[in-house]
Amino acid sequence: MSEKQLSAVEAELYDRQIRLWGIESQERLRAANILLIGVRGLGSEIAKNILLSGINSLVILDDGVVTEEEQHKNFLLNRDSIGKKIAEEVLIKAQALNPLVKISADTSNPVKKDTKFFESFTIIIATGIKSDLLLRIDKICRASKVKLICGDVFGTFGYSVSDFLDHEYFEDQLKLVAKKRTHDGIEEKPEKETVKVRSEIVYPELNKVIILPNTKQSVEPIKKVKRRNEYFFLMLTLLEFRDREGRNPDVSHKEKDVNLLKEIKKEILTLYNVDEKKLNDDLFNIVFGEVVPVCAVVGGVIAQEVIKGVSQKEAPINNVFLFDPLTYCGKEETVA
Amino acid sequence: MVNSIPYSIDASAREAIPTSKVLVVGAGGIGCEILKNLSLSGFRDIEIIDLDTIDVSNLNRQFLFRKEHVGKPKAVVARESILVHNPDVKIKAYHDSVLSSDYGVNFFKKFNIVLNALDNRTARNHVNRMCLAADVPLIESGTSGYSGQVELIKKGATQCYECLPKPPQKSFPGCTIRNTPSEPVHCIVWAKHLFNQLFGEDDPDQDVSPDTEDPEAKLDGQNSVTESGNIKRVSTKQWAQDIQYDAEKLFNKFFNDDIKYLLSMENLWKKRTPPKPLSWEQAVKVVGAKDENDETSVRAVDMEVWSISKCTKVFAESISQLRNDLEGKTFLVWDKDDKPAMDFVTACANVRANIFSIQQKSRFQIKSIAGNIIPAIATANAMIAGLVVLYAFRILAEKVQQCPSIYLRQKSVHSKFVLAADRQLTKANPNCYVCSAKPFVNVFVNVNKMTVKEFETELLKKHLNMVAPDVVLDAKGVMVISSEEGETEANNDKVLSDLGIVDGSILKCDDFLQNYELTVAINQYEAVEKDDPFFKVVANPDELKAKESNTKENGVSDHKEPESEDDDLLVLDDIVEDPQEGSSSKKRKLNTDSDDDIVEVPL
Repeated sequence: MSEKQLSAVEAELYDRQIRLWGIESQERLRAANILLIGVRGLGSEIAKNILLSGINSLVILDDGVVTEEEQHKNFLLNRDSIGKKIAEEVLIKAQALNPLVKISADTSNPVKKDTKFFESFTIIIATGIKSDLLLRIDKICRASKVKLICGDVFGTFGYSVSDFLDHEYFEDQLKLVAKKRTHDGIEEKPEKETVKVRSEIVYPELNKVIILPNTKQSVEPIKKVKRRNEYFFLMLTLLEFRDREGRNPDVSHKEKDVNLLKEIKKEILTLYNVDEKKLNDDLFNIVFGEVVPVCAVVGGVIAQEVIKGVSQKEAPINNVFLFDPLTYCGKEETVA
Repeated sequence: MVNSIPYSIDASAREAIPTSKVLVVGAGGIGCEILKNLSLSGFRDIEIIDLDTIDVSNLNRQFLFRKEHVGKPKAVVARESILVHNPDVKIKAYHDSVLSSDYGVNFFKKFNIVLNALDNRTARNHVNRMCLAADVPLIESGTSGYSGQVELIKKGATQCYECLPKPPQKSFPGCTIRNTPSEPVHCIVWAKHLFNQLFGEDDPDQDVSPDTEDPEAKLDGQNSVTESGNIKRVSTKQWAQDIQYDAEKLFNKFFNDDIKYLLSMENLWKKRTPPKPLSWEQAVKVVGAKDENDETSVRAVDMEVWSISKCTKVFAESISQLRNDLEGKTFLVWDKDDKPAMDFVTACANVRANIFSIQQKSRFQIKSIAGNIIPAIATANAMIAGLVVLYAFRILAEKVQQCPSIYLRQKSVHSKFVLAADRQLTKANPNCYVCSAKPFVNVFVNVNKMTVKEFETELLKKHLNMVAPDVVLDAKGVMVISSEEGETEANNDKVLSDLGIVDGSILKCDDFLQNYELTVAINQYEAVEKDDPFFKVVANPDELKAKESNTKENGVSDHKEPESEDDDLLVLDDIVEDPQEGSSSKKRKLNTDSDDDIVEVPL
């Protein structure tokens, strides 16, 4: 039996998902080596989902320390973890989710990681990082054919942005096939048959998607889209806030943060030449902390995109996903 | 202590969370996720009920369970897992059926909100009625593969789970199964029946021999079919025991002799490809690829279609194993996870398919169909459970209007919406036989044939989902059925007309547990065709005409889907009535646009 083939134990464990995406997808997942940057509220949800799916290995990169608040919203942490390194503390419960996956923790600062570190993965998932690091990682990923998806949850808002390079994927479609029974002269009704259809999406580089006031990229191609989803600008505003402050908005200085968010919003909407009314300032009241069920939704979306990216089965989101913090709808937005 | 209630949600929800009491019904894929979300969002008083135990195939998504928990009760282990993370949450676990009379209306009234995470229609219907009776908001949810949905059910504000008729369970006419199979599923159903004939509990409805009563076989007034064909041996099982389950003899009887007999029913084959009888001797010669007997290869065992010679080998092996298993027992119960039982069905279904020139299937595919398996994944459950708890926040904030049904959809080129919400709440069906002010249905039965027991079991319990009904014949005040043991047992075997129930009679049916009273109008109806239903139930009098002209499908009314775009998704191999982590009432287009993608295989 070759290494690539699924064992009977795996076939039984993954039965219900193999019935959905097929054994080939499962074999691709089984060969995937994944890096997850940030294992907070959203990161812990993503980690859970992809571990359960049956990947080969997961490296968890996070240099943070477990706070009481973090422990409350992160089910991979128990109370005795408070005060310790978060990446190491999530390991035990993460491993228990799926003993077949090789999991390791890295407590270094992602900024300090060299190019070589990022090159060896099948796909990288980035949460909670600043845009300059994100764009740097994307360059490395592009050079070494590593797929990348990033995302965050801010309060009840969440998003993801994918760079799956030139992504080839397959879908099952049902086609009507006329039955050939001509030898006895009997016409039977056409039968449905599953056909595998191949498609391709060419993803833009992230520096053409995430363009903030100080990045030296032209926003012209993005501006052309008339009905741009307003939450795309909310995403940019929050990223710019994190870039400037080195942290996410925090309720303990809510007023100050809301004011800064309003300022940044103006700058961004001016840059994109969009009416200020497009983004309501009231939204800034609900972007604090990570709301756990929103992490569950966005973490589910991101993990599913990772699974699609790795297995090359089903059409992935191209390329931005925006979770509406008011209606809870989730929309795909194609940017650049 | 740091407050774990999320900041960025409605202030009144934040206030309500610490003192709210929540019931989660089901600790499966969605249930585990809901429990985690509740506990991590500051809920302090949770009860969980589930009657199931943990299976290996749950572990790819039911993340509160681990391998060492296999066989243990889900509700109990889920509670323990949550407590490891947060010992301060008060969780009560019930390893029990929610249908039990221990959980009456007063039990439901204790909760501020009920969250359903079920996998079957019966329990969903029941909880729906309990929540209506207790006037507690219910959030119904379900997933099936990549898709899912969340729906609020609140008395007076929305439709209930039973407002729209569900697609009927698809069953197959006996003569299709026994005489003229044309699809793989027909052969699979036949193979399961054969299993029961040989090893299971005797069920006359599951005969596998040629059906001489087939009206088609008697066309043109010919009477070519003689009685001799249906000569019953003592019973199939007795005969099999008499020949000591000799695989070759069994094979020749079912796949050679019976097929030859079918061929003699010439009318059947005038417009069909006639079957080709297959003897054991011939069958063992139809060999496949060399490596197909590699037992360690998942692909060879499960994914590839077996050759006929491999089928004969597996046929003999599984019979010998099942015969051992039967020792000391009166019968075996077919189980998709029992290796010899599943092997037997795979081998028999494929041999029969081969005989009838029907496409053969892999063991893996046959297991999906025979076991009614719905694919289920962690990600879809996580998304749906996240939305359930976000809606729970809104309901606690009394923002019911902001909770229209919301759908998770497999991404498709036609739509940019991954999660799409309806524009508004869906209003109740004024003729709903459950949530309207005066629940009423017309039933069509043959009062001279249907017994009181059948009326109770098939119609009131199985179809109308009552648990313990009391039935009174309105005009005369005659007690027809009592939920008190022993009171009306004498009526069981009487036909309805014996008790004075005739066309036009009105019955008052009362389920005390569900706090549900239904008025039933009796209409005399006689089945004409062999495959006509035994009875019919019609809630909306306006539907009567439509129903009669369209008797094939039990009329699934077209339901409006505001946000729906043109997606023609098809869930492949989706062969069931209710999803694993079960979708709720309306399955949207993805499941309903094609008449034969959802089939219910009679068990």
